Amino acid sequence: MLKLDQLTRRFKDTVAVSDVTLDFPDGQMVGVIGRSGAGKSTLLRLLNRLLDPSEGQILFGDNDIARLKGRELRAWRSDCAMIFQQFNLVGRLDVLTNVMTGRLFEMPGWRAMAQVFTAEERALAIQALDRLGMAHTALQRAETLSGGQQQRVAIARALAQRPRILLADEPIASLDPLNAKIVMDSLRSINREDGITVVCNLHTLDTARDYCDRIIGMQAGRVVFDGTPAQLTAGMAREIYGAEAEEAFNESATSTSLASDPDAAAAPVRASA
Amino acid sequence: MTAAALVSADQLSAVRASHPDIFGTPWKAVKKWAPWVIALVYLVWSLWFFEIGRFLNASDRVWDLLYNVVVWRDMDTWQYGTIYIGIAQTLAMAFLGTLLGSMGALFVGFLAARNVMPVWIVRQGVRRVLDVLRGVDQLVWGLVFVRAVGLGPLAGVLAIFVSDLGTLSKLYSEAIENIDRKQVEGVTATGAGKLGVIRYGYIPQVLPVFISQSLYFLESNTRSATILGIVGAGGIGMIIIERFRASLYDQVAFVVLNVLVLIFAIDWLSKRVRLWAIGENEH
Amino acid sequence: MSDTSTNAVHIFERHRAEMRASKRAMNILALVIFLICLALSMWISNFTPERLANGVPRIFEYFQTILPGLQWDVLFEGRNEAGRATPGSLTYWYTDFWTYMSLIWETILMAITASLLGAFGAFVLSFPAAHNFAPARWLHWVSRRFLEICRGIPEILLALILVFMIGIGPLAGVMAIAIHTVGALGKLFAEVNENASSRPVEGIAATGGTWVQQMLYGVVPQVTPNFTSYALLRFEINVRASSIIGFVGAGGIGQELNRVISFYSDDRVLAVLILVVLTVTVIDLISERLRLGFIGRENFA
Repeated sequence: MLKLDQLTRRFKDTVAVSDVTLDFPDGQMVGVIGRSGAGKSTLLRLLNRLLDPSEGQILFGDNDIARLKGRELRAWRSDCAMIFQQFNLVGRLDVLTNVMTGRLFEMPGWRAMAQVFTAEERALAIQALDRLGMAHTALQRAETLSGGQQQRVAIARALAQRPRILLADEPIASLDPLNAKIVMDSLRSINREDGITVVCNLHTLDTARDYCDRIIGMQAGRVVFDGTPAQLTAGMAREIYGAEAEEAFNESATSTSLASDPDAAAAPVRASA
Repeated sequence: MTAAALVSADQLSAVRASHPDIFGTPWKAVKKWAPWVIALVYLVWSLWFFEIGRFLNASDRVWDLLYNVVVWRDMDTWQYGTIYIGIAQTLAMAFLGTLLGSMGALFVGFLAARNVMPVWIVRQGVRRVLDVLRGVDQLVWGLVFVRAVGLGPLAGVLAIFVSDLGTLSKLYSEAIENIDRKQVEGVTATGAGKLGVIRYGYIPQVLPVFISQSLYFLESNTRSATILGIVGAGGIGMIIIERFRASLYDQVAFVVLNVLVLIFAIDWLSKRVRLWAIGENEH
Repeated sequence: MSDTSTNAVHIFERHRAEMRASKRAMNILALVIFLICLALSMWISNFTPERLANGVPRIFEYFQTILPGLQWDVLFEGRNEAGRATPGSLTYWYTDFWTYMSLIWETILMAITASLLGAFGAFVLSFPAAHNFAPARWLHWVSRRFLEICRGIPEILLALILVFMIGIGPLAGVMAIAIHTVGALGKLFAEVNENASSRPVEGIAATGGTWVQQMLYGVVPQVTPNFTSYALLRFEINVRASSIIGFVGAGGIGQELNRVISFYSDDRVLAVLILVVLTVTVIDLISERLRLGFIGRENFA
């Protein structure tokens, strides 16, 4: 169980996340929606502590995540994997090494420095890549892959961390609909099969409705909606998105509307052995 | 979350069977580590070859030096006049050397440019001489001219002149070769003679390039002129080496500090001038 | 009509006259400043025409004395039974050839060692010196200033001090060039780092990597090609530097060059100079090949 208590983050004179209090029960798949600049991205970065909160608490069990430092902070980041809109892979390293960087926290310092990986780590990375259908690219450079393939490698890196929580910051905003569907299907199967809590920032409403157990709507740094997809009325959604409503509801934009077509893509995620 | 439970033994062997190429092999390890091992072995060997142990036996004089660098005594007897004349001399050497070098390069540059000097043998001859002038370091020229004309700034000016002549002539001749042909043809069409064509067809186009390159060299020569004195070719470097030989380390420290300030000031100033010039061009 | 047109001509002529006047004033001002600088420079450096008139003939005299007296009929003659070389032969000119070669070998080794040490120092410092990756503001400031100082002190001056501290020999030269290299390369490396993408770094940070791991996995793969080509360029510069650093007793062929120029006025000067220029040229060619090969391989991989 992850609890946020009056979490606030200020940048100079703007408040990006304001007084957010939320509970994330284990194993939930949560979608965070809102227009650009609503504070979704800042919220996720606070959870993984890539940003430090200005006020408030992040509680995981009895641990106050907001106060962690040094090795404990890195332990939390390793428990709480993150994937990004721009994938944030190391383009000039091969795919396998990119995935194995997910093990950095657990590795002894000298092995991390010398880039020496054990057979177990290599096998784990291949298993993770295989789950996303990317094992055949293991020895290619990450930068030679397409956007959708890179995002799948990024998910494999997150899986290699053996995380308890997976944060996804606009994971499909840079992808075409087919790849967007593959990525979202992978996230859902990771959530269902491994019981990992997934918190996912989404710009498009229909994707959130299709994939998430629970939707959180943000506006100007505040949580303005928290409920099931069924509870999210069209009026409510229009209020959350404001002027960007047309774009967000437009199903042909970056969305996973292919989901309604069962033949569009084979299920990309196989159950882990 | 322990490393031991990452993958089970049979999963590992399954992956080994399906993806054998991703695992390390002795050959891969050799390829990965060999450059580092070679570099490290070379470093250790070469430092041994250069007698790195000398640092251990250097104690007495080092402390003496450090003490004198930090503690400045008899500051009223330091002959500041000579120091600042030395700095002025350094600037003067750089100015004169760059000026003479630019003037010389103005002629030689045309001789080395393909479109002005059609005679192959002359062009190539000039270019090879320029290669030699450039290939020998400015400090070596300094030493040679000290030997030829004696200690003092004249040797320094000549050293800067000769090495600038080599470099600037090459740069100038490249600028001349990249010229716009049409303007030259226009002047030729008026019936102008060879010199007239150069004066009205070439010079107006290449002069701005020449001036900016010469200014850049003025800056870098000011820096290198500070050390020309170390071989006796005048300027502040000569004062440094004289007082160093006389074990006046506190004064040396003071002079070096002045030189550093001079170098940083020139860097700053030339950056400003360049920014200003770029700003002017944009209008 | 004719009244207005003469008026227009009149206005144009007046405008032109004003422009020319202001331009001429600027030119005269520039000329005056230039002449003052020239006069001051000539006065301060005693650069008088008669000194120049005295000096120039001596330059030509000197260059005549260092020309080798080669004679065609004995050019390729070896040593005779007594081990003596014939005057006028190449063997005679290059009597100390193998001494020179071993000194040139030492010079090259000095350049390689100094470049390796300097590149290592520059590599380590370039990360705190890059403002986007510096772990702490004070560390950034300190490393920047340290690089500036290393770069600011001329290497020959450093060599002079080091020779005093640890004695005459190549070690002082190696250390002086290495320190200067740290400063010069460190600045370039830091600029490369500042242009690197921060996204991979963020990715590594999010997996729980330390700052060192973020640099090693996130930045280093991005910057390696540029670092290598800058280091090779610096190596070329260091070969030149190590060939002259011996002037202050810091080892290499420069020490011999200083000796033959300062104490002998004979063909040995030219013999050594030719070898130095050849060495520098050959190393430049090899290093350029390596650099092009490396960049080419990077682009087509």
